[in-house]
Amino acid sequence: MALRFEVLARFNRARAARMTLPHFLCETPLFMPVGTQGTIKGLTTSQLEEIGCQIILGNTYHLALRPTSELIDELGGLHKFMNWSRALLTDSGGFQMVSLLHLADITENGVTFQSPVDGNPMLLTPEESIQIQNRIGADIIMALDDVVKTTTTGPRIEEAMYRTIRWIDRCIAAHQRPGEQNLFAIVQGGLDPVLRDICVKALTERNLPGYAIGGLAGGEDKDSFWRVVAQCTAALPEDKPRYVMGVGYPLDIVVCSALGADMYDCVYPTRTARFGTALVPEGVLKLKHKAMAEDIRPIDPTCACMVCRTYSRAYIHALVTKDAMGSQLLSYHNLYYMLQLSRDLHNSIIQGRFPEFVCDFLKKMFPKGDVPKWVCNAMEVAGIDIAACLPPSSSRGCGA
Amino acid sequence: ITRKPETSNCAPALSQREFLPAYLHCIPLSPPSASASASAFVLARFNRARAARMTLPHFVCETPLFMPVGTQGTIKGLTTSQLEEIGCQIILGNTYHLALRPTSELINELGGLHKFMNWPRALLTDSGGFQMVSLLHLADITENGVTFQSPVDGSPMLLTPEESIQIQNKIGADIIMALDDVVKTTTTGPRIGEAMYRTIRWIDRCIAAHQRPDEQNLFAIVQGGLDPVLRDICVKALTKRNLPGYAIGGLAGGEDKDSFWRVVAQCTAALPEDKPRYVMGVGYPLDIVVCSALGADMYDCVYPTRTARFGSALTPEGVLKLRHKAMAEDTRPVDPTCACMVCRTYSRAYIHSLVTKDAMGSQLLSYHNLYYMLQLSRDLHYSIIQGRFPEFVCDFLKKMVSSDNHLNYDTQITDVFLPMKTLYLKMRKLLKIFLTVTSPSGSAMPWRLQKLILELVSHHPRPKQRSKMPLGLITGIARAMRRKRPSSLDILSSKRAPRNYYKGKNCKPTGFHTRKGGYVIVPEKLPNYVVPDLTNFMLKPYVSQCPIEVLTTEASEPIK
Repeated sequence: MALRFEVLARFNRARAARMTLPHFLCETPLFMPVGTQGTIKGLTTSQLEEIGCQIILGNTYHLALRPTSELIDELGGLHKFMNWSRALLTDSGGFQMVSLLHLADITENGVTFQSPVDGNPMLLTPEESIQIQNRIGADIIMALDDVVKTTTTGPRIEEAMYRTIRWIDRCIAAHQRPGEQNLFAIVQGGLDPVLRDICVKALTERNLPGYAIGGLAGGEDKDSFWRVVAQCTAALPEDKPRYVMGVGYPLDIVVCSALGADMYDCVYPTRTARFGTALVPEGVLKLKHKAMAEDIRPIDPTCACMVCRTYSRAYIHALVTKDAMGSQLLSYHNLYYMLQLSRDLHNSIIQGRFPEFVCDFLKKMFPKGDVPKWVCNAMEVAGIDIAACLPPSSSRGCGA
Repeated sequence: ITRKPETSNCAPALSQREFLPAYLHCIPLSPPSASASASAFVLARFNRARAARMTLPHFVCETPLFMPVGTQGTIKGLTTSQLEEIGCQIILGNTYHLALRPTSELINELGGLHKFMNWPRALLTDSGGFQMVSLLHLADITENGVTFQSPVDGSPMLLTPEESIQIQNKIGADIIMALDDVVKTTTTGPRIGEAMYRTIRWIDRCIAAHQRPDEQNLFAIVQGGLDPVLRDICVKALTKRNLPGYAIGGLAGGEDKDSFWRVVAQCTAALPEDKPRYVMGVGYPLDIVVCSALGADMYDCVYPTRTARFGSALTPEGVLKLRHKAMAEDTRPVDPTCACMVCRTYSRAYIHSLVTKDAMGSQLLSYHNLYYMLQLSRDLHYSIIQGRFPEFVCDFLKKMVSSDNHLNYDTQITDVFLPMKTLYLKMRKLLKIFLTVTSPSGSAMPWRLQKLILELVSHHPRPKQRSKMPLGLITGIARAMRRKRPSSLDILSSKRAPRNYYKGKNCKPTGFHTRKGGYVIVPEKLPNYVVPDLTNFMLKPYVSQCPIEVLTTEASEPIK
């Protein structure tokens, strides 16, 4: 196995750990920026190292389309191609089943995509996906799973869950570099606790280096979302990393870390940056707003990133709608924010002040005390007392 | 990974770099000797070329120098720390664009453009004159000034010399340009003379309106088209005004290179020796080397960053088109001799995979291209100082001309593809013939095709390694021959049919639109009419032998 996972400290269900991968030593909880086409939009690799990025995510589907996995293999793997010395993770292409559903045709054999480039059909079987990922050479690879939208109802969810289990065996059989690449399985089952339980048990039997909780981040309501995460983290093995795919918002990351998850990825920070929105401890800051035009403060006065130390809100406001530079600077800041959040989570758990950190985070984000109910419930299950963040007069507890 | 440039181009300590009055230039670095030039500005010369040190309020610059254009207060794609990394000395901003947004009042309120951009080095602002040419369809030029129609909201914006200087005063750059009346070099007739005289009248208005002569240097711009007489009048008149520096304007607009260099040569000969000369809008690396040899000091152009956004990189051998298919597997850096971050970190294959699909490709190429231009400036400066300027120029030209890999490089000097034109036309004819012939098996080639191929083969003698035909043509033809062409037995879709083919109204679509604007037919979606097998079918269409005449009326009353 090419992965070593040591839990350094805990607080109830939350854990801070060290994950040794072939290319880098990572500290969890961690956030992984998404570099779909082999690059994070707007940042060079040296800037990424500056802000402390540990793992980058790449997409098998998009990389197989162009520049094709054979070319990447010829040129020495994605690490060498991108010249990224730290860790990489590749998604299997499963999520494109959902995001590009109008182009996809799912059968027991695999998924047939219609290439958006030239319309040619592209069959993605578990074997094919793993082979492509073997060629790309990332440290962690994901098994191909049958993904359904969380809003789906009916027998399709169950079918997808069982098919995921059948496909994991095919993925394991097709994996040719188990000594250098870690294959993670993905737990499916929609929002149904029974199905999720079956899936977790079945995948745990296969004894893989790590597990992911998939099928979330698709528009379901937050209450169901945290319950599924809580159930899966309770059932998955303690000594293996847990990766909640597609999460997300800073608040979601804090909640999931409290429930015991370790790894996250999302396009949200970079995508929202391209729309002129910056992430700050108080929430989001819309740089396109008229009020930003004369604001000489940095985006986040408490942030230590290059953008906040160098530029003012007025300058970025002048750029956001007219120049790509605005998106670039905001991407830099947003990713720094997410990675700083990861570091804060890790360090606060190690230093034994995790509940204080969570309270502090919630207080800054909800200064009026209107913490959403689902957060309150989740924190209760996680065993973290956030009474300090809530209005003292309210006897019911949380806001709606 | 970042590495500071190894040039000794550091600004002197703050105590030395006091805010000198704008008309005084630099501290003489070497004790004056008998053969040294009269002014303290120039450090070394070679015939007309000079290497100098120019002290501005915010920075000490070494000329010849290239100024990247940051129109909206930013260089597209690079942060200010990256710009400092690559050794950028002055950045150019545009008065017209900055006055539109975010408005000069806001910039002034926030402490000037230096503070707004957080750029500690020097800035130069153009007066808005060039927009008279580039946005001519929006401009109305009178003696008073230029009335622009704002491209943002259509409201009129009057730019007089006084207004332009006021805006530039608010922006706060180290060097500001006078408003000049610019005409395209391709213009003929009395307009050129009118523009030249108006420029002289406007310079006086600019000087009168300038409120910060101690902190900002006002440069005048020499106009006069391609006419040596007009240029001479203009140079003399502007020199009389004794300004801190002079620019040569009205070039870089499409005139032929032969006229271009002659105008530059005339102006640099006539302008004062001890003041900087700024050739506006230049440009290509070759042009910069030539103008430096003729005695110019400062240049600006959007070319390096703009060509980067189109996927082209500047290298000593010429322009490298990263979009070319051949780049897809090339593991070398963009320029093996370049020391910039991009060439030390990424391969051509990586940038090729990005250029058409991700803004990152343009960003990395902008970084490299600007580094190339700034390195060229540094090389010019140091080669003059070290007394090896002619060797440097020869070396530069040799590298640019002697590249024999014509497939990827696009040299500016020799027109390589002119003899290819006839060949190209023949290949196009060949392609047309082949595409109209739809033989399912593709085995029997029509005789016309064979004849053409023979003709082409005999026309072009077999070269040593491979055909000198552009690679794009060969691969294009190969692709055309290989691609799946619909056979005449396939279901006819509206895309393949003649003009009158019925394409249906509001029926199910037959494919999907691609992101690039094309349309991909999905065969499964085409209507496939299945005619049933009618052998042994006994029924006949029924037509009655005695039809009853039936009258139908709309009303429900019985038929009479």
